[in-house]
Amino acid sequence: MDKITRDEVLKIASLTKLTIDENEIDSIVTQLQDVLSYAIRVQDMAQDVDIPVHKNINRQREDVVVSFDSIIILDQAPETQDNYFVVPKILDK
Amino acid sequence: MIDLKFATIQELRSLIDSKQVSPQEVLDFYLEQIVQIDPTIKSALEIFDKKSILDLSSNTGLLKGIPGFIKDNICQEGRIASCASKILENYRAPYDATVTSKLKQEGALLVGRANMDEFAMGSSTETSAFFKTHNPWDISRVPGGSSGGSAAAVAAGLVPWSLGSDTGGSVRQPAGFCNLVGLKPTYGSVSRYGLIAYASSLDQIGVFTQTVYDNALVYSAIAGHDEKDSSTLDLAKKDYTQNLTSKFPEGLCIGIVENALEAAELDPEVKLVLEQTIIDLEKAGVSVKRVKVPALDYAAATYFILSRAEAASNFARFDGVRYGYRAPDINSLEEMYTKTRHDGFGREVQVRMMVGNYVLSAGHAGQYYNNAKKVQRLIRHQFEEAFKDVDMLLMPSQACPAFKFDAYSDNKLQMDLQDYFTAAVNIAGVPGISIPGGFSKEGLPIGFQLIGPNLSEEKLFQVGHAYQQITDWHKKNPKV
Repeated sequence: MDKITRDEVLKIASLTKLTIDENEIDSIVTQLQDVLSYAIRVQDMAQDVDIPVHKNINRQREDVVVSFDSIIILDQAPETQDNYFVVPKILDK
Repeated sequence: MIDLKFATIQELRSLIDSKQVSPQEVLDFYLEQIVQIDPTIKSALEIFDKKSILDLSSNTGLLKGIPGFIKDNICQEGRIASCASKILENYRAPYDATVTSKLKQEGALLVGRANMDEFAMGSSTETSAFFKTHNPWDISRVPGGSSGGSAAAVAAGLVPWSLGSDTGGSVRQPAGFCNLVGLKPTYGSVSRYGLIAYASSLDQIGVFTQTVYDNALVYSAIAGHDEKDSSTLDLAKKDYTQNLTSKFPEGLCIGIVENALEAAELDPEVKLVLEQTIIDLEKAGVSVKRVKVPALDYAAATYFILSRAEAASNFARFDGVRYGYRAPDINSLEEMYTKTRHDGFGREVQVRMMVGNYVLSAGHAGQYYNNAKKVQRLIRHQFEEAFKDVDMLLMPSQACPAFKFDAYSDNKLQMDLQDYFTAAVNIAGVPGISIPGGFSKEGLPIGFQLIGPNLSEEKLFQVGHAYQQITDWHKKNPKV
């Protein structure tokens, strides 16, 4: 497999919504490389697989509304105001 | 105080039923054990106050008055469910997991939250954000993982049962490390409602006990269809201890997975124990047949890809908005996400999410994820083929005996390969049970694994129970 680069790690970190400290990058590169170089062996085994996918059937249930007291839910949030979750401002004036 | 040290659930039930002890006395005994021993073992993240433990459970049922631990990724209403992660350190479950409410209905006393690898990601319980749990057989060693707190607690005699979860071996491997019976049930036989997901298509809640009989009892309490988990199977409630005679089923044939016993990943001491187990089974009249399941050698790789991919998707919800930790001093929404997740998740979780996003990303999904799904079909198929010839399979449940702390800190891949002998069972969805089979020269426990077709738990229990009538490995306890 190809070598994982620092840039790739930074791109994946950004997709994963993770800040990575400069001093962590090299060891993360190594760790990803180790796992992925091992995992790529599935390629060899997958070549001859000709087994159909099992048919899965979705199980349905009645669509019944079960409501929670919103206070129980909001109590878990880091920041709330008037029954809403508070997040940093998204739009500038 | 009456001495109940290492009593089985079966023994406790008969003491309670004959009124020789009251559930309150049983609870007092175990709470005292926890006070005495857990400061050394560190299996629990929290022990609840006595009154609330007693108040929350019914006083009748299969497990009336029997105390147990719940792994910290399973919700108990009003209690913290942290998954041993900083990101959920203060998260209080707003509802009971289905297994929690079933256990309460059956009279079980839920006394605490068990330590674990953060979000069940690890094989040693060392990735817990809070502290490390020690193996009661040798406190310089790990109890296995990810359900290490659950395993250590039962092994140390702090409770007679506990629940764990098993995504790639997280019940069976610590059971092996701690001389316990550990069950990973058929996918869909136990509800996952209220189990905080790691890899949803592989996760199952499982049971730790000292004996197979006890395991069947706890499984009877938690198994069955649940409207709230659409992946559960139609499974009527029943008592799985009913047909536990001391005999092996008539005409039983066990397949020995030859390529697992020959694998380079297997420690010679584990192999030795398994070979003795095979001899003991044959002496007891069980017929054994050598079989090969070649795709097993690809199970760990398949597991690495599927589990990380599902985790990357499941963990997107930890964003610092609705619950859990939020990083302080942030200026933008993006920074809130990225700093919260950087500070809140430990390194192992971060790397697994990144691997997951890599194997799912455009340009790499074809090589990794799609191929892993194909190999999953092959693994399932090879198990199905094997079960045409034999009733169940026997193979290792652990690669080696319990290892020392930090043994793999420089080689995480070797740590990941602890799943080598267990992950195939999750990938195929079938049930597997780890049973104590002997000890290493150094006196460390070694288990073996029995694997059956879907919903063969009853037969696995029958065989395991019969085996425990001809051996006494499960009666050996650590000096704690």
